[in-house]
Amino acid sequence: MSRRVALIGTSAIPIGRHQTADNEALQVLEHEIMTRLVSEAVRDAGVNKEDIQSLVFTLPRPYTRQKYFHTFLMGQLRLACRGSVMEVMGNGMTAALAFDKACDEILLGRAEVALALGINMESAVSAAEHMMSSMRTTGDVDFHTSAGFTPIAWYAMDATRYMHEHGATREQLGAVAVKNRYHASLNPLAQYRKLITLEEVVSQRPIVEPLGLYDVPPRGDGAACLVLASEEVAGSIGRPYAVVRGRGFCHDGSHQISDVPNDMIAFTSAQQAARAAYGQAGITAADLDLAELYAPCTIVEVLVSEAIGICARGQGARAAFEGETRLGGRIPVSTSGGLTSRGHPAYVTSLYNYVELADQLRGRAGERQVKGARLGLATGELGNYNAALIHVLEAMP
Amino acid sequence: MSNATQLAIVPVAGTLSYPPRQSAFTQAFWSGLREGRWQTTCCEDCSKLTFPPKPVCPHCWSTRVAWRPLGSFGTLYSWTRIHAAPSVFASEAPYAVGIVDLADGVRLACRLTGTESFVLAPGLPVEMLVLLYEDGPLFAARPVRDDTPS
Repeated sequence: MSRRVALIGTSAIPIGRHQTADNEALQVLEHEIMTRLVSEAVRDAGVNKEDIQSLVFTLPRPYTRQKYFHTFLMGQLRLACRGSVMEVMGNGMTAALAFDKACDEILLGRAEVALALGINMESAVSAAEHMMSSMRTTGDVDFHTSAGFTPIAWYAMDATRYMHEHGATREQLGAVAVKNRYHASLNPLAQYRKLITLEEVVSQRPIVEPLGLYDVPPRGDGAACLVLASEEVAGSIGRPYAVVRGRGFCHDGSHQISDVPNDMIAFTSAQQAARAAYGQAGITAADLDLAELYAPCTIVEVLVSEAIGICARGQGARAAFEGETRLGGRIPVSTSGGLTSRGHPAYVTSLYNYVELADQLRGRAGERQVKGARLGLATGELGNYNAALIHVLEAMP
Repeated sequence: MSNATQLAIVPVAGTLSYPPRQSAFTQAFWSGLREGRWQTTCCEDCSKLTFPPKPVCPHCWSTRVAWRPLGSFGTLYSWTRIHAAPSVFASEAPYAVGIVDLADGVRLACRLTGTESFVLAPGLPVEMLVLLYEDGPLFAARPVRDDTPS
């Protein structure tokens, strides 16, 4: 039997405002957070320091003063390794890539235990200033940014198109935000936990029409550490774990927009990555017990739900409105609270999605536990889902 | 250039909020645009148009590309109005942007202008134009009435 990778331990700080402004007397230091999280995750996994042979870090934000953060942390931990130690970057896909590359280290036999970890600190930088950087990430910096496009503007145009093609309403999209806030209210790691109503969602000020404040992600800081191991090691510890059953990746060969007209709300990269992941796992979308999606806006959760086949085309918003994707519904989506309420520290966001899958598949999700959760899916993406990276995980009691 | 497409030029007070860079290759586009010339590159091997203009054909990777006029009319594929803007664009917010499908088969994204008396919606006919700031041009689109295409 071919080698398999297991997710055996996790740790994370609650998403929120952790970054200190430059003029504060006492500063929050990223490496102090990170070393505590490594210690905690490794204890959760039940492995030893010497077992760890590879570490894949997410790239810190440029606001993190300590450069070469990954190798600096190796020194803080006095951790000697013979596999790989690196920082990876892929815009919103960064954390999904960290997980994926850590899996590779184990699949290649370079490590029996590998960490995927990172920290994203940005909340002390104003949104308008942060957008000066982020506006350069999602299109052609000369031909698009010059016109004032921002990252979520592209998702807003998806929403306009989706409502036009399928007759979906603002209320149906807003139902995603209400549902995710309810899930977040049950998640101690979530940034926003106070319940909200549909009326509140649709009456928020517009950010990028038709999306309002509660349709788009908040900004926040986060950090997490995942412990991955070969299934042999995982099985020898005698604790529940989740095994990676399928993996799919697709880049559609465009960045934000294709000059050859295509269906921009089909998210074909997510369709194809999901197909590959399901094929490897030997399952179909109907077999999933939950999905933890990289969906920065309400519309994105709807479109990804359709692309990966858990909702029919044009039915994702209606499904959310009718409670199909809520805890206790047909297929719970974003049980963590999703990017809109759990929070979206972008470079580590997907680490939190795997933390949620680990909690659910190890039966440790408390009040938001999906009963009998066996198969879960997580997605990562970049651009306007121009690329998607999808993993299917299975509970191993 | 023969058969050149001439866009309307609308002068705008002030300077560009985030000026595009020009290269030895793209300066033909931007300096042409300043005079209202609307063009992109076409591959001489596979005959495909691409936008923005590129020195290497993205379809067949040929480096034999030539400038060709683009059509000035199209339809709106989608749009949004940006209220939360990066600091350099804050004084312009809210502003509308959109995705335009040109009649000659090219899709692009640009600023929308002259939208006041229109209900913006996918499918709306639009016309490309040049916004000429004091320090350079931007291409943009404005809605047109179905029966008055100019």
